[in-house]
Amino acid sequence: MPNFYALMKRLTTIFIFFLLAFQAFTQSNSFTISGFVKSAESGEELIGATVAVKSQNVGVSANVYGFYSLSLPKGTYEVTYSYIGYKEVVKNVELTENKSLNVELKEAVNELKAVEVTAEGAANNINSVEMSVNKIDAKTIKKIPALLGEADVIKSVLLLPGVSTVGEGSTGFNVRGGGIDQNLVLLDEAPVYNSSHLFGFFSVFNPDAVKNVKLIKGGIAPQYGGRLSSILDVRMKEGNKKEFTGSGGLGLIFSRLSLEGPIKKDKTSFLIAGRRSYADVLAKPFLNDDLRGSSFYFYDLTAKVNHEINEKNRIFLSGYFGRDVFGSGFVFNWGNATATARWNHIFNDKLFMNLTGFYSDYDYAFGVEEEEGQEGDDFSWASSIVSYSLKPDFSFYVNNNNTVKFGGQSIYYNFKPAVASFASDGLTNDISLPDKYALENGLYIQNEQKIGSRLSLLYGLRWSHFSYLGEGTKYTYADTVPGVRRSVESIEEFDQFEKMASYNNFEPRFSIKFDLNEQSSVKASYNRMSQYLHLISNTVASTPVDLWLPTTNNIKPQLVDQVAVGYFRNLAKNKYETSVELYAKDFQNQIDYIDNADIFFNEQLAGDLLSGDGRAYGVEFFLKKNSGKITGWISYTLAKSERKVNGINRGEWYPTRFDRLNNLSVVAAYELSEKWSFSANFVYSTGTPATFPTNRYEIQGIVVPHNVDQSRNNFRIPDYHRLDISATYIPAKNKDRRWKGEWVFSVYNVYSRRNPFSIFFEQDQDNPVITQAIRFSVIGNFVPAVSYNFSF
Amino acid sequence: MKALKNILIVFVCMGVYACEDVIDVDLENGRSQLVVDAFLSSDNSKQQIRLTKSAGYFLNAPTPAENQAQVEILGPNKQRFEFLSDGNGNFNYDPQTNGALDSIGFVYQLELTYKGNLYTANSMLNPVPPIDTMLVSFEEGSTFDIAGYYTQFFAVDFAGRKDYYLIKAYKNGVPINKDNPSSLILAEDASFIGGGADGFPFILPLRAAITDDEDPFAVGDVSSVELLSLNEAAFEYLDQVAIQANNGGLFSTPPSNIRTNIFDAAGNLQEEVLGVFSLSAISRDSILIR
Repeated sequence: MPNFYALMKRLTTIFIFFLLAFQAFTQSNSFTISGFVKSAESGEELIGATVAVKSQNVGVSANVYGFYSLSLPKGTYEVTYSYIGYKEVVKNVELTENKSLNVELKEAVNELKAVEVTAEGAANNINSVEMSVNKIDAKTIKKIPALLGEADVIKSVLLLPGVSTVGEGSTGFNVRGGGIDQNLVLLDEAPVYNSSHLFGFFSVFNPDAVKNVKLIKGGIAPQYGGRLSSILDVRMKEGNKKEFTGSGGLGLIFSRLSLEGPIKKDKTSFLIAGRRSYADVLAKPFLNDDLRGSSFYFYDLTAKVNHEINEKNRIFLSGYFGRDVFGSGFVFNWGNATATARWNHIFNDKLFMNLTGFYSDYDYAFGVEEEEGQEGDDFSWASSIVSYSLKPDFSFYVNNNNTVKFGGQSIYYNFKPAVASFASDGLTNDISLPDKYALENGLYIQNEQKIGSRLSLLYGLRWSHFSYLGEGTKYTYADTVPGVRRSVESIEEFDQFEKMASYNNFEPRFSIKFDLNEQSSVKASYNRMSQYLHLISNTVASTPVDLWLPTTNNIKPQLVDQVAVGYFRNLAKNKYETSVELYAKDFQNQIDYIDNADIFFNEQLAGDLLSGDGRAYGVEFFLKKNSGKITGWISYTLAKSERKVNGINRGEWYPTRFDRLNNLSVVAAYELSEKWSFSANFVYSTGTPATFPTNRYEIQGIVVPHNVDQSRNNFRIPDYHRLDISATYIPAKNKDRRWKGEWVFSVYNVYSRRNPFSIFFEQDQDNPVITQAIRFSVIGNFVPAVSYNFSF
Repeated sequence: MKALKNILIVFVCMGVYACEDVIDVDLENGRSQLVVDAFLSSDNSKQQIRLTKSAGYFLNAPTPAENQAQVEILGPNKQRFEFLSDGNGNFNYDPQTNGALDSIGFVYQLELTYKGNLYTANSMLNPVPPIDTMLVSFEEGSTFDIAGYYTQFFAVDFAGRKDYYLIKAYKNGVPINKDNPSSLILAEDASFIGGGADGFPFILPLRAAITDDEDPFAVGDVSSVELLSLNEAAFEYLDQVAIQANNGGLFSTPPSNIRTNIFDAAGNLQEEVLGVFSLSAISRDSILIR
């Protein structure tokens, strides 16, 4: 790979030059204060805490590991540390040399006052160059009324502007007109390939262990890559470093328990959190004998240890394991497993490094066991995507006006589309498909630069490279005839690690922010993203058995260019945050399928795929109230998402299955008293498009629907709207006890609307000449629930 | 993916939350097209091709018959088999007159003249393996199964070639599941999972598919099975029929039109016809439940 190395060398040279240039700018008479900002109660790092010196009008925010670095000329300063929900701390610092200063902030017990205390520090949304970003903390997620009372990360994300879904109970989410496979869902920096339990009704993150959730929809910084539409960065708690605590709950679906505490105070801590559904346990006594052996449960387990070796080195180990298991004469299970090791190293006051190594795997298995009296017949099928990665990230705090980040990532993939065999009447056969292998590399450099007091820029470049590797068979197909399976023209065999196809892309990223005044700013951004993994799924809602496949010589990398502009304004001393954002996206190489595509057990799948373009645009309005008795947000999105694929819809543009013109979410929480609090959310969205027939004809007595114009998504199903409410009761006796309990009562879909998931057409079973339209609602009723949560 | 769909239905129904309602929908009616329903066999019995016109989706009556056409099959040695209209859209051929369409391995051609255009379609007559035996067993009732007699058939796919089959099942001469289009039983070699079952005995789910789970056999009933050879185009056509005729729910696929194997011989694509031409060889067996 001579080109690759030449490029690497050139990039390294550019890196070094860049660094030296910035070093030169650094004033020699200035010193640096750096350190970590943590919670005084738990020792958890406070992601994004603000560190400011008001007299000098400078401020920085702590990174995802709570690290900050601030440079000032020699002198004495009042340094203010603040974070939402925590009491501000002001330190007097006499700066005569580089200083390391770790600061702990105390949680404000009364939340209402707390927010007032720190409200001034909360203008991040205006000051930061970041745009198209939404953050939710675990507290907010737990307040939102949820289906069957189970607080859920992904379902909370659906309430944010620019996010939609094909319908209730479906896996994943769609961001700004992108497919569900275009979201990079990160759990402590490791990607999660399927974020659902029970086909999508619940997500895989245990809310008790979640610390922070950040969704990045646009202006995506060069440090991120690999997916087109969003980054969902989920950070789990590190574990309380001060004292042993626990929390958990009993809900209708899950029972949960999480324990955390110090192994060595302030140095080493652990967290272990688990959930398991227990419908099967409760149902067992009521099942007939033949179902006693059946299984129906899902669970997840998060375990973490972190250790502070010394001031300059910390390590974090975390693991996640989750699984859904169903079976009754058949076996069907799926789940993710991730293991992450991270090492934070502080080279000096200005250079911070995090090195992440991870393993992430998603796999599923489906099988039919031998029946009694019917030996010699079975079927088993397993499939997986396994990835290993190394990812160094450096933050170089050049000076208060420039923060350079650079680093890279290398991911090795092993795809197993099918490890399968069957037996028929005693004869067995292996029907496995060969594994596929790939290597994805990325390098990036970016600078966040402040120019004067009003202007900030973030600019940089990501270079990504992907190799489809042997051992394997490279198929070359005949040219595309719209809608028809392409035939194999040539076959070539490759050895292990031999390159079968490779691609590289330069992904420029740019964001700009300009403060109009203290309360408002305008921002704009451009990003190009490339994606080398593809989720092969031809169903409306993704299923657990959908396959992830690499880019190959036949499947091209997906690309998107996005521009976004926004206006951000805070009101009443940051009590209210508002924003309006406009975006437009242009997609290339979007996968679609020929009619009758064979997705499974098809080594020549690429012959059944179509490739097309996409476009999406929209405007997002967001109003958030941060403090007071009532908190919450209103989000409204007006959006369009379309595809154009040769062979579908006569080759004309058509709306995607998740295109929703109007999308409104209202989320509100109300603190009535110390005992009672209430929350509600209301969502409204335009119905999704669907393909309806125009005609019918009969073949062998069966009525076949037919669309004479070959239109795709030519109709809209009725609008979706839903109201959920919940009430939380905290008994008074909690005050003086270590054990604190609360009851949560909730009703999902309060007014029992039968929101259609889809409308489909079929013959009446009793009178086959009659054809009818059927509205299918996943949830057709109100769903009440009660759960009990505790902490100690 | 039917298994998956069923599993989901079971779990969602456990919550009694999912529901299906019949609703009114306004659909635009498209233009009418000629529909050819030509499933023929190598049997000695009367062969029928049905011509109809497509109609608005909510017609809720049988689609209109079409009689104004000329229908012929071209056989070996340029032999022509003429199908004669009965005035009700049916075009019939009696093998007693000129012999059956039974040259295994020969590609028969349908020639249809309609409104001055010639449409043609090809179908190779593929061989079909014999049904070796049938088996009856009594099953006790359980949560998902009704007590009764369940039958299976045993046959072995031809090795070394790609075969496609349609399996038809009857109870006392009446097709089982006849009003449920998604119950079409189709096989690719000896399985429904694509390749890999070449030369195998038909897999259990296919062997056992000849009993209606909701209406198993009783003593005195006759269970019969027909195994029909198909070619790839007819197999894909029927596979699509099964999918499109009942394509709802969480894991439905985008509805699409079913591709015909009947084309305008002159390459004039203005007026397409719908439907399929398929010629099958058939193996039969039956068993009396005692």
